[in-house]
Amino acid sequence: MTATQPKPSTTTGAGETRILTLIQAINEAMAEELARDERVVVFGEDVGARGGVFLATAGLQERFGPRRVFDTPLSEASIVGAAVGMAVRGLRPIAEIQFADYMGPGFDQIISQAAKIRYRSGGQFTAPLVIRTPSGGGVKGGHHHSQSPESYFCHTPGLKVVMPSTPYDAKGLLKAAVRGGDPVIYFEPKRLYRAAKGEVPAQDYTVEIGQGAVRREGTDLTIIGYGGVMPDAEKAAQALAAEGVQAEVIDLRSLVPWDRDLVLTSVAKTGRAVLVSEAPRTANFMSEVAYTVQEELFDSLLAPVLQVAGFDTPYPYVQDKVYLPGPNRIAAACVRALNY
Amino acid sequence: MIQPFTSDPLRWVAEDGLPIRELPDRFTPAVLRDLHREMVRAREFDKKLVTLLRQGRTTFYAQSSGMEATQVGLARSIRVGHDWVWPYYRDHALGLAMGVPLLDLISQCLGTNSDLCRGRQMPHHFAAQRQNFVSISSSIASQVPPAAGNAMAQKYLGVDEITVCTFGDGATSEGDWHAGMNMAGAAGAPCLFVCENNQWAISTNLRAQTASETIHIKAKAYGMPGYYVDGNDVVAVMEVVSHVAEGVRAGNGPALVECLTYRVGSHSNADADAEKNYRTREEVNAWLARDPITRVERLLDHLGEPVSAEERADLISAVHREVDEAVLRAEATGQPDWRIMFEDVYADTPVHLREQAAFLRNEQEGVGA
Ligand SMILES: Cc1ncc(C[n+]2csc(CCOP(=O)(O)OP(=O)(O)O)c2C)c(N)n1
Repeated sequence: MTATQPKPSTTTGAGETRILTLIQAINEAMAEELARDERVVVFGEDVGARGGVFLATAGLQERFGPRRVFDTPLSEASIVGAAVGMAVRGLRPIAEIQFADYMGPGFDQIISQAAKIRYRSGGQFTAPLVIRTPSGGGVKGGHHHSQSPESYFCHTPGLKVVMPSTPYDAKGLLKAAVRGGDPVIYFEPKRLYRAAKGEVPAQDYTVEIGQGAVRREGTDLTIIGYGGVMPDAEKAAQALAAEGVQAEVIDLRSLVPWDRDLVLTSVAKTGRAVLVSEAPRTANFMSEVAYTVQEELFDSLLAPVLQVAGFDTPYPYVQDKVYLPGPNRIAAACVRALNY
Repeated sequence: MIQPFTSDPLRWVAEDGLPIRELPDRFTPAVLRDLHREMVRAREFDKKLVTLLRQGRTTFYAQSSGMEATQVGLARSIRVGHDWVWPYYRDHALGLAMGVPLLDLISQCLGTNSDLCRGRQMPHHFAAQRQNFVSISSSIASQVPPAAGNAMAQKYLGVDEITVCTFGDGATSEGDWHAGMNMAGAAGAPCLFVCENNQWAISTNLRAQTASETIHIKAKAYGMPGYYVDGNDVVAVMEVVSHVAEGVRAGNGPALVECLTYRVGSHSNADADAEKNYRTREEVNAWLARDPITRVERLLDHLGEPVSAEERADLISAVHREVDEAVLRAEATGQPDWRIMFEDVYADTPVHLREQAAFLRNEQEGVGA
């Protein structure tokens, strides 16, 4: 990736890095957190001997034993609800929901229990837990294996919501999530599991939740995205560069809280914003970003804030790739903003 | 008498093909041959679909090899096209035996223009209106409460249909499963719940799934009878399911039947290495020895009406031909284009979807919207 590597918020010691895939980075983060803190436990459907359907938890049960890494019955309500109970009682659960599409059966536990226990108990009880789940399309999964449900969770106060797009961020954000004090929904863009490779420090580090990253600097417009769309956003910026247009590319990394300062500073500089997300357009989290940009920067905008999003249809099987905002659709929106 | 809540699965035919209870009159050699043919058809369909997967012509498949007696037996125990079925994603042998045309199944797996579901669902997620075979959802156990509602409607309407709802053992852990069972029980709805207990939910064995001794005893909590059947004995499946189905039809309220069987293949193509990862060769071999197709063949041998090697080979090659032809016919209809994305989202297409469709048309075809 052409990314300007974001500054890690804490790095103990400089030095050695390795090239990892996104899923390797996630696996390493869990292994290191399990080793670091006895209270960390990892569980979900098929995460044990099988190592997860995508192999995100491969080798963890072997290494840490079935007390710390275990399979659960097939019930997302049980998985999330139990994670809440464990967290309240002092553990640091990392729960896997096999596909984001199956957050549904666990939804009540997430929004009624995990998100609210701190507030409703006046801070007497808290549920610091992480729910990891693969999301997004591009894998020929049809609508039950391709959805991007992050906006539901962004709408619920009490939850933090993150979605990395690089191995570096994947590891750093997961560690930050495990060590933080709040329930974190950690979306993993599954089509980047093996496609995204990048440098990851050998030393311990975290990426602070709430900080975006500039992937490419530019002056003419700002492309803002997160998760699975990031490689395509960067491709669009490269194509524009060939035409002499310098696009700045921002990866939000965290949706709740999101990095307003980074976005506003960039759009104030460029005057144009194109927001990219593969989730359905209506009530997409990016609508919030668009609203904020126009509210704060109304006077300095040179063009309307444009959104490139998924369509308001269930995710289709056959037209899998057409559904996604690819580099061409992103670049076309940028041209529209430039020509406004 | 067929009793609920037995400690051992009810059986009629032993593994060596000898009846252990009197073989009911209706199981004539001709009927057994029909069952055998249907089971072989399902088995060969599995093999052909795995080949299509390897060729990259489809992208997902969940085999039912080993579970044919359960699914074919169930299909032959209900009134097809009259009763309603809320199936789960491993039920193509059930669909085939209910008369869903093979071309329709293949078309769905390939996502061609001949797919009744219009290329929108993942492969192997059928829907067949003519058979009242309701659209399959990937989301485990999400069909259970709707099945209860389907049965409540049947009761309300005063029709003599019943609803059949199938699921795997893993599904019985989901909240939806308990909610649907409870609803049907409380409503006295004519719903026949069938657990195709193949003992594994991906890599999670039944023992890790539930501390309950069996699945069928859970019926007790919902005020309905639970039956335990050898799901690899097609005679037993038909005897028990038809008996229970007629009781449900007669207004006795819902019932649960647990068919104890085994999936001998992988969970799906995403899980090719089951034996290496989570289960033993010995276990698989033990269940291969209880093969439901072999059992019918042995029974027919015993009755002096063996299936000859030639007959079997002809049967197999006929299925292969049937699948090959269906694949060619389906592929010849082409792939649905971008338009299918926007149709059937709503009964009437709202303006924002019309605008999005116009945008995509412009992008895909380069014409003005
Ligand atoms: C709500 C939900 N959670 C998780 C999954 C992922 N998943 C697909 S199949 C499966 C196992 C199902 O096992 P079982 O119900 O026993 O049926 P079987 O596949 O064994 O026939 C899982 C966990 C899903 N499809 N839906």
